[in-house]
Amino acid sequence: MELGSFIIKRLSLMVLVIFGVLIIVFIVTRIIPADPVGAILGGNAPPEAVDAMRHQLGLDKPIFAQLVDYLGGIFRGNLGNSLVSSRPVITDILEYLPATIELAISSIIFAVVLGVTLGLLSAVFRNRFIDHFSRVFSILGISLPGFWLGLIMILIFYYKLGWLPSGGQYDMFVFPTRTTGLVLLDAMINGEWNVFFNGIKHLILPTFILGYSSTASIARIMRASMLDVLHQNYIRTARAKGLPKKVVILRHALKNALIPVITIVGLEFGGLLSGAVLTETIFSWPGLGRYIVNSLLTLDYPAISGGTIFIALMYSVVNLAVDILYAAVDPRMRA
Amino acid sequence: MKKKGMGLACLFLLVAISFVAAGNIPKDTLVMAMNTEIFKTFDPGVCFEVEPSAFVKNIYANLVTLNVVNGAFTPVADLAEKWEQSQDGKVWTFYLRKGAKFANGDTVKASDVEYSYRRAIRLKKSPAWLFTDTLGLTEESIKAVNDTTVTITTNGAPANVVLSVLAANIGGVLCEKEVKAHETNGDMGMAWLTDHSAGAGPYVLKEWKRKTQIVLTENKNYYGNQPAIKTILLRDMPEASDRYLALKKGDVDVAYQITVEAAAELRDKKDGSVSLFTNPGQSLEYVAMNASWGPFKDVRVRQAVKYAIDYDAIINKVREGFAIKNQQFLAIGYFGYKESNPFTRDVAKAKKLLADAGYPNGFEVEIVTNESEIRRAEAVVVQSNLADIGIKSNIVIMQAAQMYDKYRNQGLQMIVAGWGIDYPDADALAKPFADYTVKQLAWRNAWLDDKAAAMTAAAGKEINEQKRAQIYRDLVKYWQDNGPFAMLYQPIDFWGIGKDLKGFDKAYEGYNVHCDFTLISK
Repeated sequence: MELGSFIIKRLSLMVLVIFGVLIIVFIVTRIIPADPVGAILGGNAPPEAVDAMRHQLGLDKPIFAQLVDYLGGIFRGNLGNSLVSSRPVITDILEYLPATIELAISSIIFAVVLGVTLGLLSAVFRNRFIDHFSRVFSILGISLPGFWLGLIMILIFYYKLGWLPSGGQYDMFVFPTRTTGLVLLDAMINGEWNVFFNGIKHLILPTFILGYSSTASIARIMRASMLDVLHQNYIRTARAKGLPKKVVILRHALKNALIPVITIVGLEFGGLLSGAVLTETIFSWPGLGRYIVNSLLTLDYPAISGGTIFIALMYSVVNLAVDILYAAVDPRMRA
Repeated sequence: MKKKGMGLACLFLLVAISFVAAGNIPKDTLVMAMNTEIFKTFDPGVCFEVEPSAFVKNIYANLVTLNVVNGAFTPVADLAEKWEQSQDGKVWTFYLRKGAKFANGDTVKASDVEYSYRRAIRLKKSPAWLFTDTLGLTEESIKAVNDTTVTITTNGAPANVVLSVLAANIGGVLCEKEVKAHETNGDMGMAWLTDHSAGAGPYVLKEWKRKTQIVLTENKNYYGNQPAIKTILLRDMPEASDRYLALKKGDVDVAYQITVEAAAELRDKKDGSVSLFTNPGQSLEYVAMNASWGPFKDVRVRQAVKYAIDYDAIINKVREGFAIKNQQFLAIGYFGYKESNPFTRDVAKAKKLLADAGYPNGFEVEIVTNESEIRRAEAVVVQSNLADIGIKSNIVIMQAAQMYDKYRNQGLQMIVAGWGIDYPDADALAKPFADYTVKQLAWRNAWLDDKAAAMTAAAGKEINEQKRAQIYRDLVKYWQDNGPFAMLYQPIDFWGIGKDLKGFDKAYEGYNVHCDFTLISK
């Protein structure tokens, strides 16, 4: 199959997946025996107020009629208004998405750089100190709860040492100019270097906490993959030809060993983009994860559906990118 | 050479980052930390949540406001310098003070009051029932007689009820001209007022960056004294431990919603740099039994539960002492309140009551509560107490959306929950707890008691204060003996505050009914 046809096929599948997610989320949220209006208005609201709001929001209509209304809105590019914020869901999502993207990108860069380096060193120096260190580091990264580690880091680096801030995207008396919503990018565009450095400082702890478990996964996969490649005949041949070890590892082995890592990086990045509610909560990060979890807690139907569609979209796009990358590297994948 | 360059670049980055440090808080700025997830809007006709209401109160001026005088909420002049009540108690005439201006410089007129109140009724949002149900207002009930006089025709509710409701957020006066200039699709400015302000209070809303911070700045046109605090910055910190650390580090002046353990630490180990401010909360915590469900139909079983509960353990262990024993529906300091705590843990008496009701071996019941850590702990204590008299209970944790759906439909057997007070009058508490016809708590627990409902209605209409107070006292006694509620306590609210703060006690006395940031200084 040509690469173009392959991409078109994957794009059509992506649309189907998102539509399926949309229908499932819509039905599941509606059949839960719960009342979002009651939660939004609070325990004190009299029944008349609850009924009036339910009518105002169209929640007293049959589920099928609500589904038709909702799908009609989606096709017109309208995800509806949040029951909690009363704003268009798309406005809410676009407000919180940049913070999530910023944190996800910095975390994945951290994870890839550190994970690949550790995995590589671990494989090359198998059963040596660096290998043991890397394996312990990876196990801790996968098993230590992020929220606990986050609190410990805040206690040490913010409270005890005073080196780093405890949370937020920037200090409280910093007022950045918003252009794209990405604080660092906006700071560079607008030449606000104090905001830029302030933003970097605020990114360090959440990046480490969010990226740590991804680092661990990448390091483990990288190690296994590299060990596998290092035992291949062509590596042995290259060494037998007298090529220096460094050249064999970096030029011949690394490229092939990275192929399985691409898959895991894609999955990890998709996960990071969908928001990390615990990291966002601990570090007061104004991201999409907190928005979606709060929507779930208040059963804010339009926000749940809108948020889920965005997550599905991001996962699909990242996976598509990984598949295309794979297909480009290995034509057997296009079959 | 290349490596050296890289090294220098990294060093520069590190140095640059380390020098961009948080500055100290200026003397005229107040920084508070809170989980701001509860903030939905700053529109006085829509906002009904506890914490946001305190901020809205400082942005909008009302006709009257409530101050705490000798421990009781007392209506005092705000935009209205004086007011009169007709002979039949229904028609109120308010005379506006001269020279009061909105933040944009426009003079406050009676037509702004008329517009604001009619708007709140037409919007039909969460607080609208205070106007329509409690005071019986329609849009025609509010009339601007001239620029400085406005009349309000009520259903004859007692004076304290009328003035308390007018002092609530919904009574905040908006600048009609400015709101109309920001209307979209006939929304009466609701979308714009979500994160902008058009009031005549001491502060204006300068910025709301959701999940990051809220900034209020002084209103230079405020009719009263200019506040010492010119900027109020509310920093979003969803995690309680972050707020506590930020307070101890001196990065915030006030930490809201710290844990009871942290509050107890501040109370018990005074370190001088931060302190704890406490205040009786405007809410009540209760256990309720569905009076139409199985064993709870029998009043003796309900009494047995009331005698089985260890109130002191809940107050001292779960709340670490941050609660006041109050076993009636009237909050401390409210009209008609007289201390009355007839229930103490008495297992033998509870067992006898159960046996008399025909349940010598107890029964099985489901206790529902929400995900709040405190509530779950309370439910565990109640579960253990009930086990001592032979009642086996299972705790079910529900999300608010699910819990309220079932509760409103009388679908729960037993619940551990709380009730926030809508306006500071006995009527706001007697109605939900004792009058099933208003379809609030008495209805949700299927306590369809006509006598209690009649007494509540009578007290709500009684203008003679002595007679009214007596009705409430009789009702409390009847309710304690027969009702489905075991009132656990009235919470004590607390805040961690920095050592430099002055006047916080007066500013937050009676929070959130009364909250006046202008009284704070450093």
